[in-house]
Amino acid sequence: MTLERCLLLAFALFAIGVYGALTRRHLVGLLISIELMLNAANINLAAFAHFRPGDATGGATFALFTIAVAACEMAAALSIVVAMYRRRRNLDLDKLRSLREPIEAEPGAGKAP
Amino acid sequence: MSDAAFALTAFFMVAAALWAVTANNVLHAALGLIAAFFATAVLYLGLRAEFLAVAQVLVYIGGVVVFVVFTILLTSRLGDEILRPSLWRVLLGVLFAGAFFALGALMLSRAGDLLEGAGLAPEEYGSLMAVGNKLLGMGEGGLLLPFEVVSVLLLACVIGAIAVARKPEDDE
Repeated sequence: MTLERCLLLAFALFAIGVYGALTRRHLVGLLISIELMLNAANINLAAFAHFRPGDATGGATFALFTIAVAACEMAAALSIVVAMYRRRRNLDLDKLRSLREPIEAEPGAGKAP
Repeated sequence: MSDAAFALTAFFMVAAALWAVTANNVLHAALGLIAAFFATAVLYLGLRAEFLAVAQVLVYIGGVVVFVVFTILLTSRLGDEILRPSLWRVLLGVLFAGAFFALGALMLSRAGDLLEGAGLAPEEYGSLMAVGNKLLGMGEGGLLLPFEVVSVLLLACVIGAIAVARKPEDDE
């Protein structure tokens, strides 16, 4: 295991996340892809902390902040997903065009249950 | 961590991540995400960042993914149409992802002295004691203030999430 291989693994994981973010049509699937990308960034931090120690503990600790912010982001995003589903009954990204309340005549707008 | 163990972890991680972005059922994608996060925790253990590995399992697998699964269960019904991406989007995604990976590998091949020299971090750098002292230290290099700021951010996020996701009052 070398730094180079760890970085390549992180690149591969990030590239997979990019692929998912570009192709997913389900809103939750998109969020899953974003989580994968954040995870790849964390692997970089840990790999550099281990193999190039300037302040190794600082490097490992910084990844903890990324984890916390990612959890925050996920909480906010998923609450928006739930609110949107309640209003539109639909999570297809191709049909969601705005975050505001659906207008009755708008195509793809869901009816309230 | 030996080379063979690293190769196995990396293979498992990439396979799980691929499953997470391509599975038709979003619930299966969440399972792939769990597997990828777990493999990452194993990699952290190999990098001797023990506390990071524990935090990964606790926060990501125990928190974020459970949240994702709950959201999926709240927002999907049996017989929902499967949302498949169109062919040109798949091609575009492969193109961008491949370009990113190629660019990263190219950069890495030119990094030169960044990848050489300097020894490994001390054995105990990621232990609970070291991380705790760093995270809650107030002296030189201590991260107590950012730690408190992050806790405020978490609180704000939770309040915001409740405000956004609760049922509007005029609903029956």
